[in-house]
Amino acid sequence: MLSVENLRVVYHDVISILNGVSLKATGGEISVIIGANGAGKTTLLRAIGGMLDLYEGDIIEGDIKIGKVSLRGLDSTDIMKKFSLTYVMEDRPVFWYLTIEENLAAAAYSRWDGAVKADMERVFEYFPVLGKLRRQKAGYTSGGEQQMLAIGMSLMTRPKILLFDEPSLGLAPLITEELFGIIQRLNQEGITILLVEQNAHAALQIGHHGYVLENGRVVLEGTAGALLENEDVREFYLGTGAKARKSYQEAKRYKRRKRWL
Amino acid sequence: MTDLVQTLGAGLLMGCVYGLLGLGIVIIFRASEAFNFAIGEFLVVGGFLFYLFYFDLHLPFLLALPLGLLASGAVGALIERLSIKPLLGRSPLSMTIITLGLASVLRASVQLIFGAHSYSFVIELPDLGLELGDLLFPSERVWAGLLSLAAFGLILFLLFRTRWGVAIRATSESQTKAMAFGIGARFILLLVWAVSSMCIAVAGVMISNFGALSYLTGIAGLRAIPVVLIGGMDSIGGALVGGLIVGVCEALVGSYLEPLGLVGFKEVAPYLLLLIVLFLRPYGLFGTVRIERV
Repeated sequence: MLSVENLRVVYHDVISILNGVSLKATGGEISVIIGANGAGKTTLLRAIGGMLDLYEGDIIEGDIKIGKVSLRGLDSTDIMKKFSLTYVMEDRPVFWYLTIEENLAAAAYSRWDGAVKADMERVFEYFPVLGKLRRQKAGYTSGGEQQMLAIGMSLMTRPKILLFDEPSLGLAPLITEELFGIIQRLNQEGITILLVEQNAHAALQIGHHGYVLENGRVVLEGTAGALLENEDVREFYLGTGAKARKSYQEAKRYKRRKRWL
Repeated sequence: MTDLVQTLGAGLLMGCVYGLLGLGIVIIFRASEAFNFAIGEFLVVGGFLFYLFYFDLHLPFLLALPLGLLASGAVGALIERLSIKPLLGRSPLSMTIITLGLASVLRASVQLIFGAHSYSFVIELPDLGLELGDLLFPSERVWAGLLSLAAFGLILFLLFRTRWGVAIRATSESQTKAMAFGIGARFILLLVWAVSSMCIAVAGVMISNFGALSYLTGIAGLRAIPVVLIGGMDSIGGALVGGLIVGVCEALVGSYLEPLGLVGFKEVAPYLLLLIVLFLRPYGLFGTVRIERV
């Protein structure tokens, strides 16, 4: 189980992005984090994935743990080796100038076992379209294919925990649906998933548990079903709920509660 | 006619060596977008390390060459750890400036250790000299061309057929993405510097073998600048073609223009050619056409 405890992150020593985030990704489940732009979703994943250093970010308080072991101070390669945790960055992190096969081979770099070829075939089984394009440079494939490749690459690392940063970014609804189906299937095969999404509806549909992140804090949490029913979530993240114009004073009820969760 | 063939042949042989020098620049440029201005000094250091094994310790060539190259690779890796790694993530320009400083430090160290005089440098190799009628290609030139080509081929194999090669090419594209997939970008950068300095060392040994080795031999390393700019800063094939072009250009100018009274024009000609190429193709002949997505 992955747990984040009261995490505070600043960039360049001054820009405070996460102001005390606590959440849990229970093993074997899909945990969903939704939130608007600038809420700190990507920063949270960078912190967990050990990538903050590369963006001049620092954890100044709090901790990230897998089981009882802290991840603080480890970089991405250590985290991947020790905990089989792979972070799939936003905006389709594939290598444009490598072919699809080479991309998969690059992602298997940290492994030394002989099963790389077999795993590659398994990825092509998941995504038959990649198999057809295997000698094509990844830069010349479509957005959906690139996102599939990114997921395929993450599988090449044999993950137990996968962090996804907005896999639906810039993709057509049909392709998003297909991708989310695959993410669900991966989860059913035993991979713990932490999914960050702006597409709240689609994400909560497949998720078990959900968190709403705003201004670097978790402002709401609950089972995915409960969040889908929540009036605020419906209004601000799903675009359903209250239809009539409302005064600003009434907006975001949870913000006016006396205590944060 | 014989004259022309002789000139072209000599130019092509020399071009292979220049191509190898260019490759040393290109792989570092691809991995970190920094230009290694210390190439001349890497060349001299490589030459002297080989000198130690071959002439001082009297090891056979087949043993001395790999040992010398390994030592050069180790020196390159050490230099990367000390001077380049602390700059990881900063602007590539700072790395480029660092290499300028490195050049001075290395040149001075070589002078301190080995002195400023020339060392005679003749490797005993089987005679591969070609004599066909009026044509004459001296053995050391043929060896230089062949060995450079072989080294070039080995590096291509490393880059395109091994796991490290894929990792190097992935890291060259994006250090961040590579790190996210568990490729230790720091180790890859170390590897790239080691491979690059080995590459330059092979060229260094071959160039020294034309006569002598001193700290001034490093000037030959400057030929790499027109080579990579003509071929394209990030193109591996471009380095070879650029090398051949520079070699041939130099040879042609040397045997046809210099006798007309333009003494020393040979040194300038590649740069003139470079200017023309850059006017026509600012990225060099084979510089990457960036993949643009619409």
